[in-house]
Amino acid sequence: MAYAYLFKYIIIGDTGVGKSCLLLQFTDKRFQPVHDLTIGVEFGARMITIDGKQIKLQIWDTAGQESFRSITRSYYRGAAGALLVYDITRRDTFNHLTTWLEDARQHSNSNMVIMLIGNKSDLESRREVKKEEGEAFAREHGLIFMETSAKTASNVEEAFINTAKEIYEKIQEGVFDINNEANGIKIGPQHPTTNSTLPGSQGGQQAGGGCC
Amino acid sequence: MNFFRGVMGGQAAGPQPSGAETIQKLCDRVASSTLLEDRRDAVRALKSLSKKYRMEVGTQAMDHLINILQTDRSDSEILGYALDTLYNVICNDEEEEQDESEDAVTPLPVSGKHKNVSMPDENAQKQADDLGAHFTDKFIQDPEHVTLLLTLLEEFDFHVRWPAVKLLTALLKNQGPQVQGIILVSPMGVSRLMDLLADSREVIRNDGLLLLQQLTKGNAAIQKIVAFENAFERLLDIITEEGSSDGGIVVEDCLLLLLNLLKNNSSNQNFFKEGSYIQRMKPWFEVGDDNSGWSAQKVTNLHLMLQLVRVMVSPVNSPGATASCQKSMYLCGLLQQLCTILMATGVPADILTETINTVSEVIRGSQVNQDYFASVNAPSNPPRPAIVVLLMSMVNERQPFVLRCAVLYCFQCFLYKNQKGQGEIVATLLPSTIDANSISAGQLLCGGLFSADSLSNWCAAVALAHALQDNLTQKEQLLRVQLATSMGNPPVSLLQQCTNILSQGDKIVRRGSKVQTRVGLLMLLCTWISNCPIAVTHFLHNQENVPFLTAQISENLGEDERLVQGLCALLLGICIYYNDNSLENYTKEKLKQLIEKRIGKENFVEKLSFVAKHELYSRAAQKPQPVFPSPEQMLFDHEFTKLVKELEGVITKAVHKSSEEEKKEEEVKKTLEQHDNIVTQYKELIREQDAQIQELKEKVVSMSSQNEQLQATVTQQLSQIQQHKDQYNILKLKLGKDNQSNSQGDGSQVNGLQTEELTQLREEVEELHKQHALLQTQLGDKDALIDTLKSEAAQKAECSAGASDNTDLLKELEALRSQVQLQSSEINLLKTERQDLLKRAETGLSDTVSTGDSSSDPAKMADLENRLAAQTAETEKLKDETKSLSESRADLEQQLASATSTVAILQTENAKLQTEVQESKKEQDDLLMLLADQDQKIHSLKQKLKSLGQTVEDEDDLDARDQTDDDEEEEDDDNED
Repeated sequence: MAYAYLFKYIIIGDTGVGKSCLLLQFTDKRFQPVHDLTIGVEFGARMITIDGKQIKLQIWDTAGQESFRSITRSYYRGAAGALLVYDITRRDTFNHLTTWLEDARQHSNSNMVIMLIGNKSDLESRREVKKEEGEAFAREHGLIFMETSAKTASNVEEAFINTAKEIYEKIQEGVFDINNEANGIKIGPQHPTTNSTLPGSQGGQQAGGGCC
Repeated sequence: MNFFRGVMGGQAAGPQPSGAETIQKLCDRVASSTLLEDRRDAVRALKSLSKKYRMEVGTQAMDHLINILQTDRSDSEILGYALDTLYNVICNDEEEEQDESEDAVTPLPVSGKHKNVSMPDENAQKQADDLGAHFTDKFIQDPEHVTLLLTLLEEFDFHVRWPAVKLLTALLKNQGPQVQGIILVSPMGVSRLMDLLADSREVIRNDGLLLLQQLTKGNAAIQKIVAFENAFERLLDIITEEGSSDGGIVVEDCLLLLLNLLKNNSSNQNFFKEGSYIQRMKPWFEVGDDNSGWSAQKVTNLHLMLQLVRVMVSPVNSPGATASCQKSMYLCGLLQQLCTILMATGVPADILTETINTVSEVIRGSQVNQDYFASVNAPSNPPRPAIVVLLMSMVNERQPFVLRCAVLYCFQCFLYKNQKGQGEIVATLLPSTIDANSISAGQLLCGGLFSADSLSNWCAAVALAHALQDNLTQKEQLLRVQLATSMGNPPVSLLQQCTNILSQGDKIVRRGSKVQTRVGLLMLLCTWISNCPIAVTHFLHNQENVPFLTAQISENLGEDERLVQGLCALLLGICIYYNDNSLENYTKEKLKQLIEKRIGKENFVEKLSFVAKHELYSRAAQKPQPVFPSPEQMLFDHEFTKLVKELEGVITKAVHKSSEEEKKEEEVKKTLEQHDNIVTQYKELIREQDAQIQELKEKVVSMSSQNEQLQATVTQQLSQIQQHKDQYNILKLKLGKDNQSNSQGDGSQVNGLQTEELTQLREEVEELHKQHALLQTQLGDKDALIDTLKSEAAQKAECSAGASDNTDLLKELEALRSQVQLQSSEINLLKTERQDLLKRAETGLSDTVSTGDSSSDPAKMADLENRLAAQTAETEKLKDETKSLSESRADLEQQLASATSTVAILQTENAKLQTEVQESKKEQDDLLMLLADQDQKIHSLKQKLKSLGQTVEDEDDLDARDQTDDDEEEEDDDNED
């Protein structure tokens, strides 16, 4: 249970693009073909390892429907990472990315790492958005990009872990103020607060040793 | 001043200004005054009136006050007054008295007109509520007002922030859902409210807690956002800071807020669990043995803490979520801590009861936790299992009712999905395992079953029923239990004793209700014999049972007995449904006939339906915990309601069916069973095969991995070998080098690899040398060849026909050359002569100058000059001649070139001619061949002629002679060639 860092994520994107399925695949390693509409926000968590350190991910899966948009906004500020999801078989979900991005950028802290995800990559025959388009959009807006399939679990782990890596690197670079929990980052319980001002690596190693 | 006004007001006989008028004046001042001080005073005055003239201030001043909030943002004092006034108008809580002394500006006399304010009866309170709701509606009509209030909350000034918190709390209390909706959609609304918990001023933090309590009431979306904003962390920190359960009302408020956030909110529960906050609850319960006194606040706090634990493991949560919480509660020692409280002394009954309920839900359905619970011992002498100690309380009528219910719940939870526990409980009653020396759970249950207290009867019956729930083995085991009777009579079976009490219930004088005892026993019997044909047979074996049941069902009894009748019908129905027809008198068929004759099918079904129609039935069906408002209402058990639901339908069907149908069904059942058997056999087979496949797969996997490993090691070793070889070679080389270069000193330090390379290179060089030599010899050969060819060519050129012409030309050229040479030597001669002459002339001139005799000189000079001119002309002429000669030479050279070209042409012509010669030779050969052919033809023709006319012999001679001639000719030809 011990962790070196805790990151808060949110998952955003149009309704039906597979946000909840991505979370379920990541936390429970299973796929639920028929999933109820998410009401408001649902919570999920998992532990991952980066650079030999245990990192706890707390993930808030938001409702994609327009009516929940105002509720969703309350979660931007306190998140360190966001997965912005569209459906490669539905062009409109790709077209709405700009709106989502504006919303996210407006309400989040400026260091939030955003990962663009083209989901449902298993449905190649019904593809409407080319991979290159996703890549181009990501490049243009400074996002990380990946195509995933919550159904086949392809790239799902990578999407969550790569986002964490990016955040982790930002911490190492000193971009994030890790003592301000409003950034969506928390240092693990082993880190004495006096130690937290030091670069994370030292404390992290201690944490790693503790859990072995 | 105040006093003066008060006295003045009191004495004034004239018409006093009414409250409404005063308020109107104040409102005008608020609206129109340009001076801040004036407005401030007016608002302060309004504030002081706002309690007494709530209605008037609310209706007349609200808009003005809101206006002040919007326009006078810079003056915190006026903001504070306005917020206070609005709060007074909107808030319904009368008991929340404020210190008014400093604001006691009362322009109107205090009179007893408004008695209703000081004497709030029920009616007045309702009026006040209406007023609060009305003004709240008015305030939130424009959502902007709520947003405005949210921005005011960011003001740090105490006089603004505090009343703003209170006002918002009041609004939420009056119109929760609407205000929640507005806050939810206003950006950062919830976040701002969460910041209140970080306020260093305790009053604001504490009122912030109350505000958040109202905010999170019944709104899952807000609850989640509050949790997202780290509420759990902050609240748990505050609880710890305030001393956990020893803390004051702030701890209580934190706990209430936590309950709001977690109750029925699976997402937040998951977050709470995943955030490892369960572990932080454990220290709360470290209160067991230090009897530092139990204040009312501490009891309240602990009560809420226990509720919080229960929320996380409630039976209504999803099984998976509850199971994982139960697991972490065991792992972090929370369960152990709770069990310590359970066994501690001096714990108030209230807390003890709730602790028992909490432990119940922490262990319910979790094998590990149940096993732990079974191992807990009370610190008594000798130590007794906690289960036994608890059951003693359950069957002790002096214990509080709620505590006894809690123990029953705990026992039920202990046995829920716990076959091992069920077996252990039943075992304490079996003759083989009974322990006579100590009190056992089984003994206590039997004692309770047959005690004179109906509540104990019921509890014990239900508890025992839970030991049999879904457990055929224990149902059969319990049939073996025998009870000793007092009079030295033969022992009676437990089943028999139960039915005896049922049928002869009236003989014992009991406390409590007879119905309760009988309902309890009937529930036990129904649970016991259902789904257990052997138990049914045992039950039917007693001749008195069936007549008793039919009598009970058929009798026309009062309202109280209806439930008992229904349960009797259920029991009889079970006897039919789970009957294996092993008793001849009580086969299914016979029992059905009995019902038809004695009771009537319709009547039976109607009586049966009484059970589920009972008013307490649905209440018990709702949740597992046995909670009853009074002991009399303790009639149904949750698990039993499930059984009724399951059996009512099938029994009704079974009773209605005719015997033929029954038989048919029986047959169908049998075939089905057979099929089932076959299917199960196959299933078994498949399972086995699956297992085998799995095993084989695993083997394959392990073997392939082994294979991979081995291959890897092989390649590794190969590379190692290669390395060793290389090293060996290097060493060898080094050794050689060392021997060679011992004298060279530094040379021995040359890297092994380099020496190797060096030798290689040397070898290469040598090879190249060889090649080079080879090539050179080849080159020499070729040169020689070329030379020979050249000489050949020269010879050929000499030999050729046109060569003479060329030699002539060459000779001519040679002659010309010699001529040229001759002439040039002549020229040279002339030149030297001339030079001599010039020298001589110079010396002559110098002579004449030196002698001074110059008369004869001009003649000499002229003479010399003439000769010189003649000589230069001659030289000129000779020059021209040489020129023409060289020209002719070039001409000749050209001629030579053309001649050589003609030579070449001639050579080719020669070659051509040669080939022509060759060709003609070939032609000649061909002609000779032709000639030979024709000879042969002639010869054959001659032979033919001979065979036609001439004698054979001559011909033969001739032929032979011809043959030799031919040969000779051929020889000649060859010679000629």
